[in-house]
Amino acid sequence: MTELVFTKQKNINTLNDIHEYHGLWSWVTSVDHKQIGIMYIGTGLIFLLIAALLALVIRIQLMVPMNHFVSQSAYNQIFTMHGTTMVFFMGMPILLGMTVYLEPLMIGARDMAFPRLNAFAYWIFLFGALLLYFSFMGGGAPSAGWFAYPPLTEKAFLFDPGTTYWALSLLLVGVGSVATAINIIVTAFTLRAPGMSMNRIPLFLWMMVIDSFLIIFALPGLNAALVMILFDRLLHTHFFAPNFGGSALLWQHLFWFFGHPEVYILIMPGWGAVSEVIPVFCRKVIYGAGFMAASTVAIGFLSMGVWVHHMFATGLDNTTLYVFAFTSMLIAIPTGVKVWNWLATMWGGSIRFTTAMLFATAFVLQFTIGGLTGVAFAAVPIDWQLTDTYFVVAHFHYVLLGGLVFALISGFYYWYPKVTGRMLSETIGKWHFWLSVVGFNGTFFVLHILGLLGMPRRVWTYPRGMHGWAELNMFSSICSFILVFSFFLFAYNLVYSFFKGKIAGPNPWSAWTLEWATTSPPPPENFDSLPAVNSRRPLWDLTHEPDERVAGIGGQPA
Amino acid sequence: MSKALQGMLLFIASEATFFLMLVMSYVNFHKVIHFSAESYLDPLKTGMFSIALFASSFTMWCAENSFKKQNRGWLRFWLAITIILGTIFIAGQGIEYADLIEHHITISRDLFGTTFFTLTGFHGLHVIIGLLLLLSLLGLCTFGRKIEPTSGGMHCIAYYWHFVDVVWVFIFSVVYLWRYV
Amino acid sequence: MDITNAEFTSVYLFATEQAKVIGFLHYADLVLSIIIALIVGGILAYVIVRFREKPGDAEPVQDHGNTKLEIGWTVGTGLILAVLGVLTAGVMYSMSPPLGTNQPDVIVIGHQWWWEYRYPKLGIITANELFLPQGMNLLFEVRGADVVHSFWIPAFGQKMDAIPGHPNFLFYKPIRSGIYLGTCSEYCGADHGLMRIIATVLPVARFNAWAHGQAQVPPEPTVAQAIHGKQLFMANTCIQCHSISGTGAKARVGPDLTHIGSRTTLGSGVIPNDLPSLASWITNPQKFKPGCYMPNMRLKPADAHDIAAYLETLK
Repeated sequence: MTELVFTKQKNINTLNDIHEYHGLWSWVTSVDHKQIGIMYIGTGLIFLLIAALLALVIRIQLMVPMNHFVSQSAYNQIFTMHGTTMVFFMGMPILLGMTVYLEPLMIGARDMAFPRLNAFAYWIFLFGALLLYFSFMGGGAPSAGWFAYPPLTEKAFLFDPGTTYWALSLLLVGVGSVATAINIIVTAFTLRAPGMSMNRIPLFLWMMVIDSFLIIFALPGLNAALVMILFDRLLHTHFFAPNFGGSALLWQHLFWFFGHPEVYILIMPGWGAVSEVIPVFCRKVIYGAGFMAASTVAIGFLSMGVWVHHMFATGLDNTTLYVFAFTSMLIAIPTGVKVWNWLATMWGGSIRFTTAMLFATAFVLQFTIGGLTGVAFAAVPIDWQLTDTYFVVAHFHYVLLGGLVFALISGFYYWYPKVTGRMLSETIGKWHFWLSVVGFNGTFFVLHILGLLGMPRRVWTYPRGMHGWAELNMFSSICSFILVFSFFLFAYNLVYSFFKGKIAGPNPWSAWTLEWATTSPPPPENFDSLPAVNSRRPLWDLTHEPDERVAGIGGQPA
Repeated sequence: MSKALQGMLLFIASEATFFLMLVMSYVNFHKVIHFSAESYLDPLKTGMFSIALFASSFTMWCAENSFKKQNRGWLRFWLAITIILGTIFIAGQGIEYADLIEHHITISRDLFGTTFFTLTGFHGLHVIIGLLLLLSLLGLCTFGRKIEPTSGGMHCIAYYWHFVDVVWVFIFSVVYLWRYV
Repeated sequence: MDITNAEFTSVYLFATEQAKVIGFLHYADLVLSIIIALIVGGILAYVIVRFREKPGDAEPVQDHGNTKLEIGWTVGTGLILAVLGVLTAGVMYSMSPPLGTNQPDVIVIGHQWWWEYRYPKLGIITANELFLPQGMNLLFEVRGADVVHSFWIPAFGQKMDAIPGHPNFLFYKPIRSGIYLGTCSEYCGADHGLMRIIATVLPVARFNAWAHGQAQVPPEPTVAQAIHGKQLFMANTCIQCHSISGTGAKARVGPDLTHIGSRTTLGSGVIPNDLPSLASWITNPQKFKPGCYMPNMRLKPADAHDIAAYLETLK
């Protein structure tokens, strides 16, 4: 098979070969989507490591009952910063970074629709993130949890500036997110290669476009809440002060109106990444592409209508609760459809278990477990028992760590060669994988049991003598060391392979989408020409006869 | 539709959702209680200033037409009128705010002040930003090259201005007219 | 904290009627979830073994999908969820009889970082240790005094948020006597983790005896140290926050101390209630509950001991 490389600059093997990327100045002033994408992802990974260390402190503090490893005041700041960092400074930048990097390549464009807006969004994100970390030195980090419920966050109860820093930081970061979301949508709508209709863009991109619509409609809820808490704290307004007629529940509605779509914003890129990885390493087209796409749209709409399920224990009336229980169960259907389709893609395939595929496989089971506990929470009385316990902590770590992060890591092993020109080490990768699986499941599976045994979340410590609490916490904490070590092993792989990895070439995986039709890494202008696009798999089409329907089973060509 | 216009429409969608959140919060607090401070609001006076804002949408539309016809002189004229009308609106808001504050109705006094000043204040902020955008359009018109302002820029800012106007229709109805219903 | 007499804490203990009903739903969901997890896990295990790449493998058949199958598993998933949905509705409505115009039996008020319990029909106000009669469907009102807390005893089933400005109501019908442990379940600031709940369910007769005792004004102290302790208590800032029936101490900022002598723990479940612990607490509560609103009282150890001696007589 001849190399299908649609650029004149065929001698590029590593980032070093691209002289436009030499020197710090070229990066700081860049409006090239690839450089901005790399900066987003790199920054996100650094915050991942920082937040993982914060988590380790949490687990050490909880290792034994009545521990005093850190003070209660430090602990409350640490768990708040852990959550806030993972959601806003790890999840969002990595998913936005991967998209701005991949989108123009996947659609055969030279750059995003708004390159300067792209750069602006990255730098305002970085500024916002640094502003929040400055708070540790600036009077105290926020300490009210990543969702900061008033009245606790009113000045009367938390007079340190932590919450103020938190609100300001998230407003800034939010501006960047909305700007990039707009960029992603307009790029997809206007810059696609000839022949690439919207239903032929890679599923990763389809999901990221829906994701971007979610960002546009969900962030305003957060912005409204942040503005109000800032006004309460700085201008003495009364939005959330019950003594003046304000409403603590108003915050919860506004925040979760954002917060629920936010978790779908976070997971969609994971779904997108594995929807690219699994077919390639099974050498088989994704099963039910139309249903994968349609289910994403359904989830997008439904996710805006389930937010009260975070408020089931607040004493709202049964009818309201039931409506949201219904929508929350409904959203499980399109989500489940995706799992069946991934399994069907693997069925009958010829599976290469590269590290990328290993992480994608673990993702399918772990995400399913997280999804099932999520459905349990949709059943209101079960939520009444288990909300705000370690059962919730287990649930969201299964979907966000065992789910999203595993999927992103899969994507990293898949796309790292394209970004840097070198392969990640498969040897280190296999160690990374197994340590992650053992570390993750060991740390978090037992937390389900802790929740069932009554342990609440966000507690600095717990009493001696609670049956099972000490043993399970100890087990979880020991495994958390393995998990955190696996992240540092991953970081080592990323750095080591950057200098010593095998040269990848344009298409090391024999993959099918347009990003593989140029050098690794791509030249600044990405492509000089483009292949014909007649399906979702342009490169597969170039090396195969026109697709025929499989005998005996009705199917739909891509 | 141009890239710029698509981008602006998406941005407007986001801002519209933000205002929806603020309006719903306003309604949430006002549907049960009627504040005495509300009687200090004067729908007629504010209505007059509102007419200036609504008229500025019309003059903006005239400006867009002049742009389409490549008539720079008229374009400058209509932009200038739009800016003046918008400024009259802001001035009216400022007078109203000063009046309320003189009567000790401030943002921190009670929930009326809190919600009123937040909702109308954010709208006013968006109007001021719009005025700055219009001024930059006028500047490009007057001192810029032949291709400036671009069609993308012109239509984007026009859409933003109309959006700000439409938001005021809602806010005015909810804040000033609702209690008469 | 001596919790050796407490029941095993878990959501499966079913100490109330309501918990039993939730338990039924919980088990149903657990069974459905395990089945689905096993199906997914099973298919995955099979696929990993059967379809692993072997050298010389031809490219697999490119199966794009099957609409009938898609609709099949979509409907199937929907049906399973429908079952769960119907059960959910049934359980929810069975747990929520109309409140009517009943006065609550127990008012729970969450403070930073202790629990106040009032029994309006019995005229009792107490703190941190809850006593309940077995076999009666009790109406609880849950209020928040400052920030959002949440009242939860796992064995009792449902938790309910304590939201300032938004009182909530729910029913608990305890069906077995015993001591049940719970915890504040909404992050409420510094000592959220040290805001524990201890509920003792007694047979009706014994509960009535307890209530009778609670309604009494405690007798005057007779031992010299305790007398001295009472004088110190009434003369110091203690009375700015605490109340003791039958005395001039009537403030409701901190827990009511009328019958503190009969509690098993102090600080809402943080340390055991005995003379040395109470004296240490009075000297420096921040040592046991850092960040709580009771300041270091700066008393001489002998004075703190005497005040503790007095308080221990308040049974």
